[in-house]
Amino acid sequence: MLKDITLGQFFPGESYIHRLDPRTKIILTVFYIIITFSAKSIFSFAALFLSVVMIIGISKISFKTIIRGIRPVLYIMIFTMILNIFLTNGEDLLFHWKFIKIYKEGIITALLVLVRIIVLITGTSVFITYTTSPIQLTDGIERLFSPLKRIGVPVHDLAMMMSLALRFIPTLIEETDRIMNAQKARGADFSTGSLASRVRALIPIIIPLFVSAYRRAEELAVAMECRCYRGGEGRTRMKILTYGLNDFFAIFIFLLFLAAIILINIYAPGFKL
Amino acid sequence: MDTIIELKNITYVYGSGTPFQMTALDDVSVKIKAGFITGLIGHTGSGKSTLVQMLNGLLRPHAGQVLLHNKDIWENPKEISSIRFKVGLVMQYPEYQLFDETVGKDIAFGPKNMKLSDEEIARRVEEAASFVGIDKALLDKSPFDLSGGQKRRVAIAGIIAMRPDVLVLDEPAAGLDPRGRKEILGRVRQYQRDTGAAVIIVSHSMEDMAKYCDEIIVMNRARIFAQGSCAEIFARAEELVAVGLDVPQIAYIAQALRRGGCELEGDIYTVEGALSALVSLFEKKGIPRKTANNA
Ligand SMILES: Nc1ncnc2c1ncn2[C@@H]1O[C@H](COP(=O)(O)OP(=O)(O)O)[C@@H](O)[C@H]1O
Ligand SMILES: [Mg+2]
Repeated sequence: MLKDITLGQFFPGESYIHRLDPRTKIILTVFYIIITFSAKSIFSFAALFLSVVMIIGISKISFKTIIRGIRPVLYIMIFTMILNIFLTNGEDLLFHWKFIKIYKEGIITALLVLVRIIVLITGTSVFITYTTSPIQLTDGIERLFSPLKRIGVPVHDLAMMMSLALRFIPTLIEETDRIMNAQKARGADFSTGSLASRVRALIPIIIPLFVSAYRRAEELAVAMECRCYRGGEGRTRMKILTYGLNDFFAIFIFLLFLAAIILINIYAPGFKL
Repeated sequence: MDTIIELKNITYVYGSGTPFQMTALDDVSVKIKAGFITGLIGHTGSGKSTLVQMLNGLLRPHAGQVLLHNKDIWENPKEISSIRFKVGLVMQYPEYQLFDETVGKDIAFGPKNMKLSDEEIARRVEEAASFVGIDKALLDKSPFDLSGGQKRRVAIAGIIAMRPDVLVLDEPAAGLDPRGRKEILGRVRQYQRDTGAAVIIVSHSMEDMAKYCDEIIVMNRARIFAQGSCAEIFARAEELVAVGLDVPQIAYIAQALRRGGCELEGDIYTVEGALSALVSLFEKKGIPRKTANNA
């Protein structure tokens, strides 16, 4: 079923990471991406891998969920691994057959790149999607970017649009599921036949979907106006974001981690990417 | 009576392995009789919609079997769409599935997927439209120009046009005014009486069930709570109330009258039934007809 896609799936919880301020989590995500790309030596990759395991542990998200999140990029991972294995030149020749040469360096590079991709995807999704509700996330983004209001960027409106869009993704997916089921009940077939006939088979889904999306949008607009929504000007919030000790602590740890990775790169290069 | 569909030990779990895991059907076994209107009743979230989606193979059970005419519908998963023509399911709020340019074309969608000839399709569209009381003149209109009740009847016609052996309607009267409810349910009953097909109606209105169904299945928390004729079911009023359901108000009144010493005969769960019981009581006691009618 469509609903089984974990894209943008939030798992409510009470872990340390769940309780961090969304702004902190956005900042940590940016840090984490920088750290992932600054890791060069084989030791820093080991540290990186350890850190992601710890993050998953602290967030209390099940490994099954994490694996399910990685699965969609499996092919990209395999593809980059193959490219790295066959195209990296080095000194330690392991295998040679006609024009195919595999070096030890190639295999290590492939493994390190694999770690990098896994860490990148898992780390960002733990911070952003699994432990932060879409509402918190847009709140965080709005606050984080609010200085841009001074130069005329409509930060509030963009954040509102984003949160509405996020809010309606599950609804629309559910609706699509329902309409597909209704048409299947009338014998519609979406999975066999030529490409042209499959595209034509989508019409009975897309038209009702558009009709209902417009209806929902209109109803929502009316409901918002009924509650006197006039944009961000003078709007107060029910939940005011505040930084706590936890947040500073998390950012401090990440700064240390970044410094450690850079030091490892310099003083314990081992194998370098 | 012959059994037309049988569910055997069906279990279905939504979102298995996620924090949102939800067992919607828990070891459900039930037999649906042919040539009857069966009412499926239960409060919201009791698993009614999940159960009816089992019947035509929209959902595949995680455990158990669905037998149609004593044959497992999942014996050959590639043939599952042929099951959908035999078990016609009208989903909840079916008016949102309409898509074609004209009402007639929309009703023809199912028969077209059955690869019938054009004449046969035209015949079935006309027949289905008349069953649900959609005027011939409306067939050339856009379905988006119709009223809510009309749209819903068009959607039901879209299923009837496939001439299924079993017609299943998921909350066909939800969100309609009393007149719309009566119109739709009355038409469905007329359809059943005319064609002899088995019909299953999902609802949570006891009044409607008492009036239109021959047999009632009560669901509670992913399980079958009770099955039987209207009289058998409504005799268990206290149990129904305990699981958050109601009995028809007239059944309460009859009960109260009996407690007050009024000797009403038979099982009373519809207004008509109550009236005839009262009339016969008055006749027995020798109260003149005119007074009885005034009462
Ligand atoms: N697509 C779905 N995904 C997850 N849970 C669902 C889905 N559909 C129904 N459920 C859950 O399964 C239970 C039974 O639902 P349903 O069969 O629709 O009940 P009913 O039709 O009696 O109201 C409910 O608790 C509902 O929340
Ligand atoms: Mg339902």
